[in-house]
Amino acid sequence: MRFNRFTKPIRMIAGLLASLLFAILAIPLGAQPVPESHHYYDIAKEVTVVGTVSKVLVKASPGMIVGSHLLLSTTSGSLDASLGRFGLRGKGALSVAPGQQVVVTGVSKLLRGRQVFVARTVRVGSHVYFVRNTHGIPVSPQSRAVAGQNWAQKGESL
Amino acid sequence: MNRKAYGILLVITFLAVGFLTSCSSNSTPLIIPTTPFAFYLSGQDALPAGSGNVNFYALAGAVTITPTGKVTAGEQDYNDANSANGGVTSPEPGGDLITGGSLTVDSTTGQGTLTLITNNPALGVNGTETLGVQFVNDDHALITQFDGSATSSGSLDLQTLPSTPSGGFAFTLAGVDPDLDPVAIGGVFSIGGSGTIDINDDGSVLTGTAFTPVLSTPDAFGRGTISGVTVPGGTIAVNYYIVGAEAVRIIDVDATDSLVGSAFGQGTNATAATNASLSGSVLAISNGSNGYGSEFGALGQFATNSTPTPATFTGVGDSNELDNGVLSGLASSISGTYSIAANGYGSLTIGGLGDITALQVYLTDPALNISDPNNTSGGGGGLVLDLDDSLAGGLGVLIPQTDTTSTDFNGNYAAGWQNFNYFTECGDCESDMVAQGSMASGGALSLTGLVSDPFETLTAGAITETGATFTGTPAADPNNAGRFSMLSANENELTTVIGTSEWSSWDVVMYQASAGQLFWLNYDDTDTSVFLGPLEQQPSSLTLPAAIGPVAKPQTRQKP
Repeated sequence: MRFNRFTKPIRMIAGLLASLLFAILAIPLGAQPVPESHHYYDIAKEVTVVGTVSKVLVKASPGMIVGSHLLLSTTSGSLDASLGRFGLRGKGALSVAPGQQVVVTGVSKLLRGRQVFVARTVRVGSHVYFVRNTHGIPVSPQSRAVAGQNWAQKGESL
Repeated sequence: MNRKAYGILLVITFLAVGFLTSCSSNSTPLIIPTTPFAFYLSGQDALPAGSGNVNFYALAGAVTITPTGKVTAGEQDYNDANSANGGVTSPEPGGDLITGGSLTVDSTTGQGTLTLITNNPALGVNGTETLGVQFVNDDHALITQFDGSATSSGSLDLQTLPSTPSGGFAFTLAGVDPDLDPVAIGGVFSIGGSGTIDINDDGSVLTGTAFTPVLSTPDAFGRGTISGVTVPGGTIAVNYYIVGAEAVRIIDVDATDSLVGSAFGQGTNATAATNASLSGSVLAISNGSNGYGSEFGALGQFATNSTPTPATFTGVGDSNELDNGVLSGLASSISGTYSIAANGYGSLTIGGLGDITALQVYLTDPALNISDPNNTSGGGGGLVLDLDDSLAGGLGVLIPQTDTTSTDFNGNYAAGWQNFNYFTECGDCESDMVAQGSMASGGALSLTGLVSDPFETLTAGAITETGATFTGTPAADPNNAGRFSMLSANENELTTVIGTSEWSSWDVVMYQASAGQLFWLNYDDTDTSVFLGPLEQQPSSLTLPAAIGPVAKPQTRQKP
């Protein structure tokens, strides 16, 4: 491995300090305001819901956003939890069956005219599955394998 | 004289006669002239065969081809960053050798195949890669891997060798990081000097880091190394292939991460760029991580106003974010601000184009055509890096919009697209096409071409298809000159016949930068597919190497 993601706190701090140093010393000519991006997955709006799995969909039904879904029964009604492309696929994928209780953390969004719960983590029993990262990007099976589910190192938290 | 001595004398005499004959003025040259081409692609591979893997992969290389289409030699670097699971990264520092092959092209359409025999048996089919080629002109082709081992989109371009890059360069690359998560980087640098690099790695963004790249002396194929490409946390090993003095293909050759892209000369924009250097443009942007991260594509066009600070722009755009579940309105109004520094390094903030809100911009030489670097017309624009956290891996281009007259979209065109879809259980899996045909002014578009579909997402009956057809009538947008659509809502969708595929109807929007260059986007309201690609106008005739006349229809390749 020749380069690592810089979300590890120490490296990130070092990188930011180095960048600040370079910014001060070296690049007044190229200094540009960095455009502020809008966040698809706004972690400040993240909530956790408890529900019972009523249906497991490996492939989206018509009208749903692409990828895998869990249909949940919750105390406030039914919920469509989107698991993304890899949620139920590949090594280390979420393993769950109808009737099981799950704890899902995510953000509720209106997508293509439909309310969708964009899931980031799913807890089944004591096992927590990460299906998206904190930016809402689907976590691939390869990424799960490479990272060895050591999410603390990747700056992830429940 | 004994028998042995007589034999030696005979050989010497034969060689002497041969030498004298070759020196005579009427002799046939002993050295067959060859034409050098550089190529690069990125997409998804299925290596090792039968594994069920769907890996990001990148490929860049250079080959020499005789006038009769024989591939004489070459070098390449292949990298899917997944060798731990049976994937392939070419051995470095030498890469793979290309020891033979052939280019077969229809002299009328410019369509055909390029086979590359490599010394790496893990690649292609037993070491032989087949690329589908669609020449736009004599110097430039749209290409896709076409052998069932992988699929991808890229470019093949005439090399000018030797060339010595100098001055300022803008660059972007996209791919996967060591966790096989989406990553894209971009920036500007000067040859022999330093530069500034930006990165969006799986949603973590850092801009404005200084770096000092050093290019080695290229070999006879125009291949060399770039050291000093540092990103937060480490250094990326990078090789490059020269297209010309102002165009270089670049590929990450680390075994655990893979990126590919280009660097282009900036010309006057390396030292004297201003906000006025970015004129009205077409924006084309998509995920360069090929199914990793969130797949998306977007097109737009805008006019700029460089008078205020920051400068502003307004226009329209269409965005299809497949994995995010976001689809912009048709011809959505877009606007925003931008700022360009003297070294061509800048930023742009957009509203109205889905989740695409924050871009870094790196201006290129106003005289350089970044889609077709040997083309002396169609220059200017720049490269784009998406900083939006959910769209990590996003890269794009800005192409000056110089002709929005709809009737100028006319003549013969080469076209390509890179498609990701959820048609089957293989989510975000890729298929690619290259094609050629005619566009009647104000009328119908009719293309015929090659489709690569190793993951059988199109259920076409074969993993490589020839003779696929693409027909429709692009409707000019009466409110936005330069924009076209082919939509099922208007009973005007693009219709395709790809083997036995049931996927035969595509909603499409198109943006015209000039008569010579357009882009098309799959605007899919069923949330199952997205594609983006170019349409580039062909000249009235082609004089290609290996143009051997109309080519007999190759056989489609069935899934083994």
